[in-house]
Amino acid sequence: MTWLKQQVLRALRFLFSDKLARRLACLLSRGLVNHLRGEATNGLLQLLLGTMDTAFLLVGSYRANIVGFRATYQFRTDDGAVVAVVRFADGDMTYEHAGTANADATVDFKSAAAMRRFLFSAHQDILESLKLDEVHVHGNLNYVYKFAFLARDLECRILGNA
Amino acid sequence: MPRVTGDFDSALESIQLTRRVVALRNAYFRAIPEICGERPILLTQYHAHEQLFGKARITPLEKAKAYRYVLQHRTPVVFPRVARDRELQAFDIAETSLFIGSTTSHFKGVQLYPEMMALALWPELHSVSTREQNPYYLDAGTRDALNRDVFPKWMDESMLELARKRPIVPGEPPPNFDLFELLVFFIASKPNCVSHTIPDFSRAIGEGLQALILETEAHCLTAKTQQQAQFYEAMGVALQGIIAYSHRLADEAEKQAEAAREPQKTELIALAKLHRRVPESKATTFREGLITVWMCWTALHLENANVGLSLGRLDQLLYPLYRADMDSGRLTLEEAVELLCCLWLKIGDHVPSVPESGEKLFGGTGSNQAITIGGVDRDGRDAVNELTYVILRATELMLLRDPNLNARYMPGTNPPSYLKRLCRANVRTRATPALHNDRAVITALMAKGESLPNARDYGIVGCVEPSSAGRHYGHSGALLLNLPSVLELTLFNGHHRHTGLSRLISTSTGDPRNFESMDEFRSAFTKQLSFMAREATNVNNSLGQAYVDYYPSPTLSALFEGPLQKGKDISAGGASGNSSGVTIIGLADVADSLSAIERLVFGEPKVPFEELIDAVKSDFTRHKALLARLANPKLCPTFGNEDPLADGNARWLVEVLDSAFSAYKNVRGGQYRVGYWTMTNHAGLGALTLAMPSGRRARQNFASGITPRSGTTPELLAALHSVASLPAASIGNGMALNLKFVPEACDSASLERMVENFRSIVEGYFAPENDNPGGMEIQFNVTSSDDLRHALKNPEELKTLLVRVSGYTAYFKDLPAEMQQEIITRTQYLLSTGHSVPTARISIQPDAGIEASQ
Repeated sequence: MTWLKQQVLRALRFLFSDKLARRLACLLSRGLVNHLRGEATNGLLQLLLGTMDTAFLLVGSYRANIVGFRATYQFRTDDGAVVAVVRFADGDMTYEHAGTANADATVDFKSAAAMRRFLFSAHQDILESLKLDEVHVHGNLNYVYKFAFLARDLECRILGNA
Repeated sequence: MPRVTGDFDSALESIQLTRRVVALRNAYFRAIPEICGERPILLTQYHAHEQLFGKARITPLEKAKAYRYVLQHRTPVVFPRVARDRELQAFDIAETSLFIGSTTSHFKGVQLYPEMMALALWPELHSVSTREQNPYYLDAGTRDALNRDVFPKWMDESMLELARKRPIVPGEPPPNFDLFELLVFFIASKPNCVSHTIPDFSRAIGEGLQALILETEAHCLTAKTQQQAQFYEAMGVALQGIIAYSHRLADEAEKQAEAAREPQKTELIALAKLHRRVPESKATTFREGLITVWMCWTALHLENANVGLSLGRLDQLLYPLYRADMDSGRLTLEEAVELLCCLWLKIGDHVPSVPESGEKLFGGTGSNQAITIGGVDRDGRDAVNELTYVILRATELMLLRDPNLNARYMPGTNPPSYLKRLCRANVRTRATPALHNDRAVITALMAKGESLPNARDYGIVGCVEPSSAGRHYGHSGALLLNLPSVLELTLFNGHHRHTGLSRLISTSTGDPRNFESMDEFRSAFTKQLSFMAREATNVNNSLGQAYVDYYPSPTLSALFEGPLQKGKDISAGGASGNSSGVTIIGLADVADSLSAIERLVFGEPKVPFEELIDAVKSDFTRHKALLARLANPKLCPTFGNEDPLADGNARWLVEVLDSAFSAYKNVRGGQYRVGYWTMTNHAGLGALTLAMPSGRRARQNFASGITPRSGTTPELLAALHSVASLPAASIGNGMALNLKFVPEACDSASLERMVENFRSIVEGYFAPENDNPGGMEIQFNVTSSDDLRHALKNPEELKTLLVRVSGYTAYFKDLPAEMQQEIITRTQYLLSTGHSVPTARISIQPDAGIEASQ
């Protein structure tokens, strides 16, 4: 997300009520909504992180989830390539495409489909994930539970998929 | 004191459920569990206020004060008035129990332990109320409190993370949590609980908690160290918390009495009076004894996640009070049964929190709170008494998953009529009680160092694990070993197909294709087993040390033999006896695989190892002829048919497993004891495991417990004889032999024949032979495969259908699909012939008085 876009979204959150901000976040999240309605998996993590970022900036009730929360996550694909490093600090979220040795939790996915199964309740099939040994977590599992909640909270409260 | 009076009718058939109990039971089955936020919120507040988060060590006194705080501030629920149904609609509970108080703030609750694994529910906070399998109702307020105020505080403070962060124990290699987290090798349960033990209620009942508090104060004055003095103070504080909670219930009952009408007004005033007396003072009536147990039970649940915390020998503990009440005319049999029925509902008023993935793999479990009846006393005398039968009748009428009733039987000492009564109860309930052979169990416990009197005074913990009641802290469910993974590592030279053949998991023990003898294969297997035993015990010990440092149990310590004498918390080895339990998953599958290798690869005519490995790699799709050969008992024998080679392999495994784990000690200085009860893990871990040399195809269920593989044992007597021949002395952590009998009782005469056949089968299985004390344990499903299929199609019609899984009982409808199929396809026998019948056979419906449940 560009610096300018961040500033605009930050400014908007002071103008809108939480309900309006959620509507706006939903409008800006159509890509993720469409993705979740379909079966495609490519680019899902990028879309998810982008939507989360937007929602944190705009929606106070969603942002409340990360107030006081400091953590670093690393998401990798099966070949060890880093897909994203996500940082939470001071009520904000940032992400980049570079590795880190200091993640609180690193999640390795065998595929994007595996990630989808792991993160989204509507398509959750953890048994299949375990059978296929397609998700590995290194580090503190509680951080992964928190991230999974953030993804599902976004899905339920912002995108209206409850 | 007479144990059974002359005119006592052990059948107690005239006693039925009272209107009160029927109403409460109906509400119980209608209600779904509701997540309770009280404990996690209060405990988090206390930890934050007292700055316990981030501390390098939390003392027993600090923990005791935390629990006292929770007990002093949780809502005193006298009678839960509302519950939620599957559609999440609230409904009223008009009837009231004979007991007040609850383990959670709900009629049927889910207690959360954020210091354990409660955070695994975090991703489901929006969906847990509506998830497909076993939903829990969660209100929005509690959800938000858990998400914002509770869970974030415990992210770095849960037992697993505290253990992971701990420095390495000097002299021990670093624990390999990776292997544990891969699930397919072993499962360590300490991140979720210890439980799995039987507290000592005898002093609480016989002397009252105030007397115990005075004793802790006396010890405090003479303590040798400051640490010991604090520990004694901690036990006193924990006990004060229990008394305070009972008094608060009394206050609330009195308050409600002011506005109540008769007869409830009188009932509330009486309850208040009772709760002011006990558990503070000694119990003087049967009801007061039960209230004492119940109040201590609620406090123990607040301290430790309840998985397999067990009540012990209630028929022995409460018999003097029962007898005195009966003799004085203060109590009738009907009242005694009604009291127990109400207590059973209270004991089952909560379920463990299981995340959705856990439900899919291992679901359907209750808290597995075992109660033990019968057997012999410490002097070896017949201990069966009238209360034994009263407890049995209450269980028979209630048909609940919890408590899990276990009956002991000492051949030659307990009357055969008692065994027949137990068999009749199994036909009526279809699944309970499990039966334990005292002679075999006492042999097993003595082989692990118990004295004869203490071994005789065993109770069953959780599923089927024997433990000297109230004095031995066993954590019998500490480790679950997936034995087929040890075979897999042997077959693939330290690699496992689940984690990829490019990743070395253990040590290289050689390519089996180059092995020249079965001995060489056994040697490699033993090395892989030693590796896994070391890794598993190391992880468990690391977690055990974290308990010592962060999670002492002052309440349990105060209700146990040993901590008061030793001045040491139970987590640090304060109990009189200590051990940790390992349970083995997939014994029969591995035994049959060893037999297949021995007969096919190293026997005649030979199958090259290369071909067998290729066959398991391809799930036998390219090796149909080999698969047919493996399925032919004449060419390839299997465990459970009295075949010396096949049974010999099972025996070898039992001995080598005992030896591998006996090499290690836990942090409390106790041994590791090995057992064979799989709960639902033989389905869950089977789903993660590919094809095996036995001919078992990929992802299929393993055999349950110590039971031979389904469909391989056509003759019941041969199967029983094979299992009974396994060495009891190497099975210190119990076993579950799961059998399925087709109901054959269409009228009272055929019912009598069936029950008598049942009794003689069990008597034969328990009979000693040469040096062997006989089969150790046996449990049943008296439901045909067709009836189970009917239940599968009509889950709501048969929502209370009880089945024996492998250890505990469960409601059939709550089980994961794999587990339901496993029970349906278990070998089923006709008791009248002793032969197996195809699992598709149409059954004869029983007329066994189970209409109350259906």
